[in-house]
Amino acid sequence: MSFSVEERGNPNSLSYRLFFKNAEGKYISPFHDIPMYADEGQNIFHMVVEVPRWTNAKMEIATKDLLNPIKQDVKKGKLRYVANVFPHKGYIWNYGAIPQTWEDPAHKDGDTGCCGDNDPIDVCEIGSKVCSRGEVIKVKVLGILAMIDEGETDWKVIAINVDDPEASEFNNIGDVRRLKPGYLEATVEWFRRYKVPDGKPENQFAFNEEFKDKDFAIEVIKSTHNFWKALISQKASAGELNCKNTCVSAGDSPFCCSADEATAAVGETCPCGKEDPVPSSGNISYNCYDSEVECSDVRFTRLFSFAVDKWFYYERK
Amino acid sequence: MSALMLRSSVRCLVTVFDTFSASSRKVIAQAAAVSHQCYFRKTMHYQTEQRGHQNSPDYRLYFKTSDGKYISPFHDIPLIAETEPENDVPAKKSKKSESEVLYNMVVEVPRWSNAKMEIAIKEPLNPIKQDEKKGKLRYVANIFPHKGYIWNYGALPQTWEDPGQKDKETNCCGDNDPIDVCDIGTQVCSTGQVIQVKVLGILAMIDEGEMDWKVIAINAEDPDAKNLNNIEDVRKNRPGHLEATVEWFRKYKVPDGKPENKFGFNGEFKDKDFAVEIIKSTHEHWRALVQKQKNTGGIDCKNTLCCDSPWRCTTDEAREVVQSAPAFGSAHPVSPEGKLKKKKDLLIYF
Repeated sequence: MSFSVEERGNPNSLSYRLFFKNAEGKYISPFHDIPMYADEGQNIFHMVVEVPRWTNAKMEIATKDLLNPIKQDVKKGKLRYVANVFPHKGYIWNYGAIPQTWEDPAHKDGDTGCCGDNDPIDVCEIGSKVCSRGEVIKVKVLGILAMIDEGETDWKVIAINVDDPEASEFNNIGDVRRLKPGYLEATVEWFRRYKVPDGKPENQFAFNEEFKDKDFAIEVIKSTHNFWKALISQKASAGELNCKNTCVSAGDSPFCCSADEATAAVGETCPCGKEDPVPSSGNISYNCYDSEVECSDVRFTRLFSFAVDKWFYYERK
Repeated sequence: MSALMLRSSVRCLVTVFDTFSASSRKVIAQAAAVSHQCYFRKTMHYQTEQRGHQNSPDYRLYFKTSDGKYISPFHDIPLIAETEPENDVPAKKSKKSESEVLYNMVVEVPRWSNAKMEIAIKEPLNPIKQDEKKGKLRYVANIFPHKGYIWNYGALPQTWEDPGQKDKETNCCGDNDPIDVCDIGTQVCSTGQVIQVKVLGILAMIDEGEMDWKVIAINAEDPDAKNLNNIEDVRKNRPGHLEATVEWFRKYKVPDGKPENKFGFNGEFKDKDFAVEIIKSTHEHWRALVQKQKNTGGIDCKNTLCCDSPWRCTTDEAREVVQSAPAFGSAHPVSPEGKLKKKKDLLIYF
């Protein structure tokens, strides 16, 4: 199964959209039309990459827009860039979502005590390769962190790209602890602080900030898949979410999106144009002493090869 | 003695420092009649010219003045950034103290990038090029949790760590290069950019047995620059940054199979005054280098602006050097630097 993307609008601007197509070139929704499982028997999941590692632009699947393209999040009328929380540069993993999952805001999670954040479930992919925005990859799930982001349940799945050269050595959360020392700790700290430069409080976590293992993670993912199934079959309230899709709902469903409707949705956006310069985002606060963004994030991620992308982990004897 | 800015001919600018005085430095301008010379601008503006292809061994970044004359970033850019003489009037130096001295820094490696770009000390006009090791272009590893270099990294022009000189504290000889600088400012600079920095302190690194000082400085245009005046300010305002700097330098060659680096003074950062003394001595070593008839260390001392130097060449000769370099072309893709290290290599360090 392969997928491709079509850029519309100008990168680094409010007009930018990244639409998805399947192997036949048909427009699809990355939220609803990409199967959750790449291989159910092997517990391999699809992941839609929203934010490549080491970049700052907060790109997201637009859950309320027709065909749910990826676009840049906007806060207070401005394009959102995540700060560099020292010592980190942007996001410290490839970050994205598992398709066909949904954290239902009407459901209070038993572990966190909080309602879902109304989004697909988030994934942090810890492999060496810096993926591209909109890339759909296959991942092995290794564990999960129970974050509570501004009072909402916001699980963070920890996973690795099946194509990573070290993938065979990663089978559970303990392997991450052993082979990438410090990475899980850095992950908690990053999520704890990443909104502080924007004036938000530190985030909190359930389970004393511990990562739960693979089996637990898979159960959580499955439950968010069940919430999504209820959503797409109209058993749960969609609220403002756009559930239109081209491959899942039957023709008589209000969520069924025809090829013409899909083409029209894309056609309403501007053709792909020149990249706008990345603005410098300014100020510094609380222990996170800069929020400068690297210019030309997109170029940056394309320049570096596999070997250069890799983290090196070791401890002093 | 004071710093003298001499203009012995219309196009020649030589900055000679005898000693640094503790009191305010005087800049004496002997203005020529020509009023359009860049001397009268607030800072010298330099341009760069790319030759060859990025990400390939033939890539070169040559430097020139704003009127298009090729120069060496090693020898022809003044160590001390000129301050603002305007309208033929010398700067009012009495208001500025030693702490406001700004240095020119040639940026080689932008923060967060990995390509090991360096001033080519052994090539004529010393362009910036990418370092190679064992026939391969060199990229510095990402030392977790860092991405590439954690500051804008480069060199102070007109300085030289003389391999014939042994440092008293560490007993190590110089590494044959200009002195290195880490700019801790927020702005990510470009390769070849010349910025003005305030010196804040210095780290005595010993890289593979050679003395390799690391000046800690900040871009004078950084919004924080006015709050940072010495190494203690960095410690207070940027918690963890100095520790990360030492750890980065300690470990950065280990993925290439080299041992951890060591440091003089137990890895402590020395303060600004100490840093200035070190810079001054490397400046004097450089001056001796370019004034000497005999070439030492394989360094190419060709320059266009150092009047006392037997290596001074004409602008035509400089142009010929640049024109003989490969024509500029589109960037090559970054090639993987060989196989990724196997798991057992990583285990060595645990």
